[in-house]
Parts: sequence; C-alpha cells; structure tokens
Amino acid sequence: MSEVRFRTQEIGSLAKPSWRVKTFAGRPLEDQDIEEAGRWGKQLDVDGHEELVEGLRSNSLSREQVDDWAAIYALRLLETAGLDVVYDGEQRRTEMYDHVAAFADGFEARGIVRSFDNKYYAKAAVVEPPSVTGPQDVEEYQFVREHTDRIVKVPLTGAYTMEDWSYDEHYSHEGALGGSAERRYEGRRRFVVDVARNVILPNVGGLVLAGAEWIQIDEPAATTKPDEVPLVVQGFNEATRGVEAKKSMHICFSDYSALWPHVLELEDCLELQLEFANRDSRELGTREEDRPGYADTLRLFKEHGYPNVGLGVLDIHSDFVEPAELVRDRILYAAEVLQDPSRIQVNPDCGLRTRSWDVVYEKLVNMVEGTRLAERELNRAHAAPSIR
Amino acid sequence: MELKAYAPGIYPRSEALVQATRDLDRGRTSREAVDRQVESDLGELVGVQERAGLSLLCDGMLAWQDHFRPLAERSDGLDARPLTRFLDTNTFIRAVLVEGEPRLSEPVPAPALPGGRWLATLPSPLAFSRATNGAASAQLLAANVLAPQIEAYAEAGGSLIVLSDPFMARERAVKELLGSLAELPTSVPLALQLPFGDAGPVLDELAAAPVQAIGIDFYSTSLEALPSGYPKEVMAGVIDVRSSALESPEEIGRFVEGLSARNPAGISLSPNGDLQFVPEPIAREKIARLGRSQTALEEVA
Repeated sequence: MSEVRFRTQEIGSLAKPSWRVKTFAGRPLEDQDIEEAGRWGKQLDVDGHEELVEGLRSNSLSREQVDDWAAIYALRLLETAGLDVVYDGEQRRTEMYDHVAAFADGFEARGIVRSFDNKYYAKAAVVEPPSVTGPQDVEEYQFVREHTDRIVKVPLTGAYTMEDWSYDEHYSHEGALGGSAERRYEGRRRFVVDVARNVILPNVGGLVLAGAEWIQIDEPAATTKPDEVPLVVQGFNEATRGVEAKKSMHICFSDYSALWPHVLELEDCLELQLEFANRDSRELGTREEDRPGYADTLRLFKEHGYPNVGLGVLDIHSDFVEPAELVRDRILYAAEVLQDPSRIQVNPDCGLRTRSWDVVYEKLVNMVEGTRLAERELNRAHAAPSIR
Repeated sequence: MELKAYAPGIYPRSEALVQATRDLDRGRTSREAVDRQVESDLGELVGVQERAGLSLLCDGMLAWQDHFRPLAERSDGLDARPLTRFLDTNTFIRAVLVEGEPRLSEPVPAPALPGGRWLATLPSPLAFSRATNGAASAQLLAANVLAPQIEAYAEAGGSLIVLSDPFMARERAVKELLGSLAELPTSVPLALQLPFGDAGPVLDELAAAPVQAIGIDFYSTSLEALPSGYPKEVMAGVIDVRSSALESPEEIGRFVEGLSARNPAGISLSPNGDLQFVPEPIAREKIARLGRSQTALEEVA
C-alpha cells in the first residue's frame, strides 16, 4: 500500500482586512489598520509589504491596488499555514450570492431581508432568463495563478443556490396563486438550468481556458428543500458539462441524508467538501461515540462509494482553536469508517470569513499539523508487521 | 359579503430600524434610540394597514427575532441558543433548549394597539415543540406557555390569535396538534395558519380543530385540494411573502371567485406567512394590494 498523504485545502472566503474594507467604504484608515497591514506583512513574509503600508499611510493606492494586496495577503496566509490548495479568500468578491447576481444580466436588486437576529442579506429577483456576456472570474484566477505555486481551486456559487436565494419574478410568477406543485417545481428547474448553462458554464469555460485545473461549486442551499436535491445535481452537471478539469462541490449546514442517492448522478465530481466539525464533539477520540458529527454522514459515503469526501475539521462559527490532536482524531475516524484514506482530503467546514485572521491562522496551522499526525499514525500502522 | 383581511406575523424592519439594531450590536447607539425607532416603525405600519382598510391591526412583532424567542426568554425552563435553519428558508432561528419544565413566567406585553381592533401571532403548540426538537411536547407547551400568553392577550383586548405552524403541512402530525390545541383557552378566537406547505393532505382532518379559521398557503397548495363545503373559515394566503413580485388585485379576485365556488364556511384574506421574507418597501406595497383586493371583492359582492 502506498504511503498515506492527505491534501489540505481551503474552502473559500476569508475575512477582508480592515484596511481593505475601509478603503472600499470610503472611510478613513486609523493607525491600527495600517499597523495590522504591517504586522501581517511581516508575519507572512509578504514581499514588498512596506509599499502597502506606505501607500495606505499616504492614501496613494487605488482600489485595484488595495484589492491586489488583499489577495496576496490572503494567499500568503493560506500558504504560510501550510495548505496544499489555495485561493485568494474571495477578497475581491462582495459576497457569494451578490457577486454573481450583480454581474449577470437578468437579476435586479430588491433590498435586504433578515437572515437571523440583527443580521441581514441582500436579495435580488430574477426578472428574465439570466445570462452573461463573458466569464466573470478569469482575471481574479489569473492573478492568483501568477502569485502562488500551490494547487489552485476556484470557488463558484452554484446554480441551485442562486435560484433558491433569489426571488422569482419570471419563471413561475404568473399563475402561481393556487397553482400545482409540479408547475412550481418546473419553474425552479428551468431557473436552475438557465443559471447553470448561461451564467456559470461560461465562467467555468473561461477559467479552464485560462488554465484553471479545479472548479469548486458551492451549494450551501443544497438540501434546503430536500425534494429538490435532483435540481442541485442537474445544476452541477449543466454548469460543468464538457469541462476538462477537476470538479467538486461544497455543501454546509445542511441535512446530508437528503443528498444520497441523488449525488451518485453528479458527473465526474471528485468530492463533496462538507461541514462536520460544527456538529461534532471537541473531545479527543476515534470511536464512533467520540465523533457524533461525522458518523452518520461518513456511513453514507462508505455505503454508496461515491464521491470522495472533503472532510471539514474546523468549526468556522467558533473561535475555539481545534488542537492538532482533535484534527488528527477526526481524520483517523474518517479513515476507519471509509477504510480507504485515498477518499479523504482535509479542509475547514466552510469559508472562514466570520473569524479574525489571528484565529484563522491558528486554526489552519493546527489543521495541517493534525493532518500530518494522522498520516504518521496511518503510515505507522500500515508499516507495522502484522501479528498473528 | 363581508370579507376580512389581515397581515399577521413578523413584518420586516425599515432600513432605519435595521441600521439602528446594527448600530446597537456595534455599540454605536443606545437601546433607547432603538426603541424610539421601533415606535416609529410601528406607527408607519399601523398607518399602512389602516390606509389599506385591513379588518384588524397587527404590530408586526418588530421586536421579535423569531416566533419563539420572546416566549422562551419569558419562560422558566426554556432558553434560546443554537442557530438552526428555519425549514426551507434561507433564514435561521435560535432553537429552544429545554432545561426544566417549561412555564411562562411573564407574558409578552400586548401590542400597543386600540383594544378590540388587533390580532396577535404566536407559534402553534406543534411548531413550538418542533423548535425544541421535540424536547418539550406540544401539549405541555400549549398548557404552560401558550395558554397563559393567549389569556394575557385576550384580557388586553386582542380579537384574534393566529397560531403559525409551518411544520404541520410537512409532517402531517394532525393528532399531536389537535391534542395540544385542546389545551388552549377559548376566550378569544383562534386561527391556525399553515405557511409554506401543501395543506391539502391535512385539511380534512383539521376540520375538527378547535379554531375559527384555517390559514392555507395557496402558493403551496392548489385550490383543488380544498374540500368542497369546508366547515371552517379559510384564511386564504393570497399574498406570497416569499416573492418580491407584487400580486394583482384582479388575479386575487379571480382566485377568490374560484375559492367561493368551493363554498367554505367563510373566507378571509392574508399573506401566506410572515411578510419579513421580503424587504419592507415591498411588504408595504403588498399590504396595500391586499387591502385593494379586499375592497374590490366587497364591492363586487
């Protein structure tokens, strides 16, 4: 058996540095914002970070330059933490839904609605079949590619999530009152297919043409309506059809039991990167009762044999820094259940944008260290002579 | 015919109130300033409903974060903590933890609205139980929390209590719900509203519920699913709170004609759930159109 080596990867967003946020909001920078730029520049050994500090101090940088620096800082953070697969922490994007809705034709902003407590999000309506005149994220990708030698994975918002998070003023509005469930479903299906074919696929095609080797489709809404999981699958397949690149899907904070057997129809999907740690215990251990957040879903991966798993080992909603030993035990448990370490890669539950860079860095360093501990354990076990 | 219309549930906050609550979270404003903005929003909302000619007024539950939290916070044995997706919406509630026998210790204050002219919205006992992940039964929550809250509203001049239940149409746990509704007082009329689900399969059994009206989401339920001669008033969800598209009073009128032909015991008009699922300017216009639909239908009759 070949030596076990897990790939460590990010999932998507990181928080934007205060100097980036304030620059784009048109708010004046304070000394501490500039000090942060200097501190992280030194800690991450960012080439030429003194230019950024000076530019921020003299207010002489364009927004584009500030965006470039934010992307470089995010890349260096992920690289310095030791990740194998990186991106730019989505530093140039407003937010995963708005990034697409504001770019594509066919959507109109409608205002803000509450997500929970005093937290709100912007929502758009689809008013005609969505389309784009060209790929959206090629320049973003090219910048990343030019500034790292690591594996690059490009995160893109999925068609189903765009559909589920939008108001529908086009596909099934007319005759909706008192109409049938079948009619509503068909309207949603057409919306998903149009976004997949006419918004996401052109972007994927442009990215791959520019050299992108790996596309991650993000579908946090995947199981919001469990009977519509087939639409999630159709959206993925339509958005990546004919594309010669690695393809994977990220889903989080969802009822994963609704995914199978439908996800068996995902075409050429390398893995599902899922959130697990959020629902797990923080105690060490590799028995089933030690890992309540992992057991049920990993059994589905084992039972169905497809696809592979991107194992979420960091809770992105908590400042709790997972010890490397906890990461190790989560991976070892997954390896035990799946009986095939090659089906596992290691990542945070989701994008880490809600956490400070200090917390993120500590978490990621421990994630990588815990992964190495798990590899050592597994390789030692395989190397040991069997005892009869 | 007299055709009543209401807009129960949580109403969206104005952009000014959203900003005030954000500022409060960031320590940039005071609780008193937020309270003043809530009062201002309430005044606007009452004006919107009065201009629309709605039959009863609602306070929009502007200070409620979700349907459960104020009740949990005012009850012994309950606490609201883990963030949990609220059914098939892109919104979240704080699931209710049960840490002892639930008992309402201090009712939520009644809305500051003219006595005899307002309705209030509460979770149905089944919905409340589901918010505890079943840790407290619907019957227990009905008897110990919802019943005293309903009594308090009745004493303060409430004319109707709408019990919101987005779980029933999905789970079809009719017996469990009916058993719990029996624990509620009869001092004020009750309506059971079933947002965001196909109510068709449970309507026959719910005819036995001790409520005056059944609220049906007609954007999730086909008209044909309503049994002919239904013995309860149908609170028809004709305004889609999950769509930014504005309903046409003419389309609502045609729909109500079809509904009338099925001869239910009564008809009232409402949104199909909480208007908080659309931004406030859209919600305001939807209420106006609800009122125009009501007026047009009354004139025809």
